[in-house]
Amino acid sequence: MSPSDEKLKSDLILDELKKRQRTKVVVDVEEERVKVVIFNCGANQFAFYGRDIREILPSCEISWVPSLPDYLPGLINVRGDIESVIDLRCFLGEEKDDGSKRLIAMAVQGDFRSGVMIESIEDVVDIPLSTIHPPLATLNGAARDLVIGEIEYGGTTISLLDVGKLAALVAL
Amino acid sequence: MNDENDIRLGLLLFSVCGVHFGVDAGQVTGIAAYDGEQADDLFWFHEVLEYGDAGHTYFSPTVITIRTGVGLSSRMIIDRMEDIVDFSQNDIRLFPALLEPLVIRRGLWGILLRNDCMVLLLDFKRLLKERRPGLTEGEPESGLPLL
Repeated sequence: MSPSDEKLKSDLILDELKKRQRTKVVVDVEEERVKVVIFNCGANQFAFYGRDIREILPSCEISWVPSLPDYLPGLINVRGDIESVIDLRCFLGEEKDDGSKRLIAMAVQGDFRSGVMIESIEDVVDIPLSTIHPPLATLNGAARDLVIGEIEYGGTTISLLDVGKLAALVAL
Repeated sequence: MNDENDIRLGLLLFSVCGVHFGVDAGQVTGIAAYDGEQADDLFWFHEVLEYGDAGHTYFSPTVITIRTGVGLSSRMIIDRMEDIVDFSQNDIRLFPALLEPLVIRRGLWGILLRNDCMVLLLDFKRLLKERRPGLTEGEPESGLPLL
């Protein structure tokens, strides 16, 4: 083989790298992943899609407003912006407390925007979309109206809640 | 720099059971200490605003007379008169969209941030109108129950 016919070593490496890159793209497409925020609320763990949670605010004072239903405990001041707060426990059948030591997750989806009271953040993880299973048929009560799927985390099944469903429920 | 389009609002500030409120001082025609009077046209603020089951303690109950239309007035018992202050419309924040349809029915229409507190702006005329939809400004005076 003449030197001109011989493939350059660098070409071989480049070819291999490009092949791997193409394969990776294919793998990425097949394994679409989503970020979920896993949190504690009452005695149970739940999750939201990460794309719907703008930020987590430390425990802050909630200004009570008369005439609102129990699931709307009031208003918070977020750097000068006034935001509403939703108490998820009312929908999830969890026991209520005074709410003084809870975090606020700022949930945003389309025109909907509100703080959501949670106990604490457990984790933020990327999971394959394929690992989100349909909601359990045994779910009942208001929780059924909020759950969009079930995921496995730490050996337990966690309900994935949909901010859009929460918005619809609160707007009723 | 002065904004020529700025609307100024004189607000009477008070609190009831720890919640701060502001009303257009122009709607208030009289202020007097509450002397224990019971009357059909005299209402406790926490009842009208539907405070619910929480405890209702008034430290210095005060009767305010509210002009609700031409020749119309109602009386309400509030607590802790705090101040009468002039504010710019630019100081006023809107209620979050989620709450607005719920609170507007109770006459609550805006929020003021003052001394790290939220002051809920209340329009007595709107509150009354929501409770008595047929009421108009020119309606003749009559016994006008708020409840």
